[in-house]
Amino acid sequence: MSRNPRNPRNAPALVTTGLAKNYGDRPALEPLDLEVPVGEHVALVGHNGSGKTTLLKMAAGLLDPSDGAVKICGHGSGTEGARRSLSWLSDSPTFYDDLSLWEHLEYIGRLHGVEQWEEPAERLVTTMGLSDRRDDIPTTFSRGLRQKAAITLACIRPFDVWLVDEPFVGLDATGKEALLAEFDLAAARGATLLVATHELTFVNRVGRLLALRDGQLTYDGPPSGTDVHALVMPS
Amino acid sequence: MAAKKVNKGNPADDPAADDRSADAIDDGRLGDAVATHVDPNSVTDHGEPETDVRTGQVVGGPTTASTASGRRAKGRSGPETPTAAMVALRRTRQRHRLGNIEWFEAAYRVYLLALFGGGTVLWLSGLIGDKPVDPATADAFARHAPAVLGVAAVLALLAGLRSGAQGGPLALEAPDVMYVMLAPVDRRRALVRPAIQRLRSAAYAGGVLGAIAGQLAGRRLPGSTIAWAASGAIFGIAIGMIWIGAAMVAHATHAPLWSMTLVGLALLVWQVFAAVGTHAPAPGNLVGSLALWGWRQRGIDALALVVIVAVVIVGLALLRRTSLDALARRSGLVAQLRFAVTMQDLRTVILLRRQLNQEQTRNRPWVRLPTRNRKHAVWRRGWHSLLRLPATRVVRMALVAAAAGASQALVLRGTSPALLLTAGLLFLLGLESMEPLSQEVDQPDRAESLPIERGSLMVRHLAAPAAALVPFALIAAAAATVVTVVNSHGRYTWSSAATVAAILCIPTVLGGAAGAVVSIVRDAPDPFANASQQAFMPPEMAGVTTLLRVVIPLVVSALATVNVLLVRQAELRGDSTVGAAIRGAIGTILLVAATAWWVRKRDDMRKAIKSFMSQGRDYTTEQRSAR
Repeated sequence: MSRNPRNPRNAPALVTTGLAKNYGDRPALEPLDLEVPVGEHVALVGHNGSGKTTLLKMAAGLLDPSDGAVKICGHGSGTEGARRSLSWLSDSPTFYDDLSLWEHLEYIGRLHGVEQWEEPAERLVTTMGLSDRRDDIPTTFSRGLRQKAAITLACIRPFDVWLVDEPFVGLDATGKEALLAEFDLAAARGATLLVATHELTFVNRVGRLLALRDGQLTYDGPPSGTDVHALVMPS
Repeated sequence: MAAKKVNKGNPADDPAADDRSADAIDDGRLGDAVATHVDPNSVTDHGEPETDVRTGQVVGGPTTASTASGRRAKGRSGPETPTAAMVALRRTRQRHRLGNIEWFEAAYRVYLLALFGGGTVLWLSGLIGDKPVDPATADAFARHAPAVLGVAAVLALLAGLRSGAQGGPLALEAPDVMYVMLAPVDRRRALVRPAIQRLRSAAYAGGVLGAIAGQLAGRRLPGSTIAWAASGAIFGIAIGMIWIGAAMVAHATHAPLWSMTLVGLALLVWQVFAAVGTHAPAPGNLVGSLALWGWRQRGIDALALVVIVAVVIVGLALLRRTSLDALARRSGLVAQLRFAVTMQDLRTVILLRRQLNQEQTRNRPWVRLPTRNRKHAVWRRGWHSLLRLPATRVVRMALVAAAAGASQALVLRGTSPALLLTAGLLFLLGLESMEPLSQEVDQPDRAESLPIERGSLMVRHLAAPAAALVPFALIAAAAATVVTVVNSHGRYTWSSAATVAAILCIPTVLGGAAGAVVSIVRDAPDPFANASQQAFMPPEMAGVTTLLRVVIPLVVSALATVNVLLVRQAELRGDSTVGAAIRGAIGTILLVAATAWWVRKRDDMRKAIKSFMSQGRDYTTEQRSAR
């Protein structure tokens, strides 16, 4: 088995050490020590404002921690190595308003050095039901279509770790099925998934469940036999 | 599709790869640009090519499905770097944008700008006059000007240090943050272009303003006007570069805001001491001296330019340390800010500036209102808002009030153009204080769902801010009194200056804020407006309408400040200054009352005008039908 060039030392997919975030005097995430091994599939649950998005954004390098550090496949969060390994699917997709969906796919694929981007792009727009909208500007899409477009952009490039924030919001039934299929595909290729969601049925598809409440990790273990509803109740 | 022959080495060692790819894009051969390169993910962080990267334990997303087969086209080599893709696509997007520009509209805007800008310069030139100053004055100017102008340089430094500590000076589009900055591109390379654009625009704005100021100075000071304009431009460019360079360096150091503010303020105090007469060496003196190159040149002044350029180079070199957190936060706000500037929407510009500076209202009010008296909901709502103003904003309002008072004192002394400065400052003070009214205007759906007439609701919203402005009016009065007595050479005593200031301060501050009220209320959605009428407005009308939208509120603020001219006239004639102040105050109070009446009746007036126009159209239609 050859080395993965993005993670040559086979470091854990995600490691946080004393990771914390405060907004003014209000803590959004209490110091968190966490390790997610390569290939693990993790669901992150919690009530609104529990710190899920804060954690994911800090892991993606989009938010500066108040304290502590994050490593992605052994690379510091936000470094070039981490960016090469990580795909981020935000809960609020943003697009250029002068590029079509197809041009977005080309741009992002090429930014990540994908040689033959057309074929996977074709597959992704077909899977997401966007074939007839590929030449349209995604900023004009409805909420659900924007989410589908964002999923195609997250998947057009190679990754080892996929950070996903509220991916099911706005998706119709076929969109949800398509997204779950993408999760399965990524999982089959050995990628690590960390999905923050309020879709509690999703937790049965993962091997590890993390629950946050008021910025504190309140549960870390298998989802089976756990009252997930109780975990997501605010204090 | 013709395959391009390129090198087979490591792409990182091929500096021409970026340009070749960019050329392919420019030629419209997007596919070629892509097809000529292999996946740089097959290259390790050390630059060593991997023979088979797709069969490892960890693989990527679905994209790998197509590349895993190793269908690397024979004869294709020379991988495209992500940076090359970024450069190429940026160029293409720039071409798209240029293609989408409405050139006629752009030319019309330039025409309007040239017309009004040129008119303003001519007007200012008329005010300055062209009578050369006497040698003694010129000598005094040469002694004092470097330190005084150096204050501007240190202010730019302070602004830059604070901006950098708050996440400035760069702002990217939100998708650029999401996609480009999260891609494995060289961040310094990705940020150099926006950084240079930012530097260029700041230097350009500074240069233009400096050139205008220089040519005005050259009309009365020794030296040619052109040389003064050139040296003014150099000074302005230096100021712009100090601002952006300091911001880039401060950002890269990740220093806390308080420390940058402290450093900037310390330098400012030092510079101000030098400017007010100590003639001590100060950090901004050399920069200030650059502005005098139109008259006399000192080689040592060039040292300032060297230092400024060095700071900018350091800032550019440290771009890799730019915080993505700050870029993400600023991206959306700056886009809105640019749009607001395009629309000449001053209120939104100020609102967005506050958000950019992370100036948030306090979670807990300074003082809790008693819960017993639950009457006067709008009055209470106003105070709930005002009592949450952050300390920085309160301090800023106090400084603006003091500056307005000092400016009015200068008018009293004879510097009439300072009236415009006072008007601008009071307009800003009004915008800062009218937060409850602004919030109501920003939530039109909520306001319209209330069982109360909109005009009546808006007038009630004026009460709390007006009361809140009283302490600031007193600060303005205190500043005006001090400056008047210091500058009057015995013509005003403390008591006479304080009496005039006390009479004028509240009406003037409220009148100045009336301009802000006009600006805010005019931004409220017009329930009787016909969108199609606005859309089909000819460009000449649209341009004038936009201009009036900006100018009218400032004119209202300016009208509130002219009362001081009555006092000045009375003093020159030997009449009672107190009597003149009372007459001026009454006039300003009438202006405030008229503004309040307009706010109350605006909807009724628009409705009546709309009805009148509609009747006229109906009548015309009937006449035509009858024929």
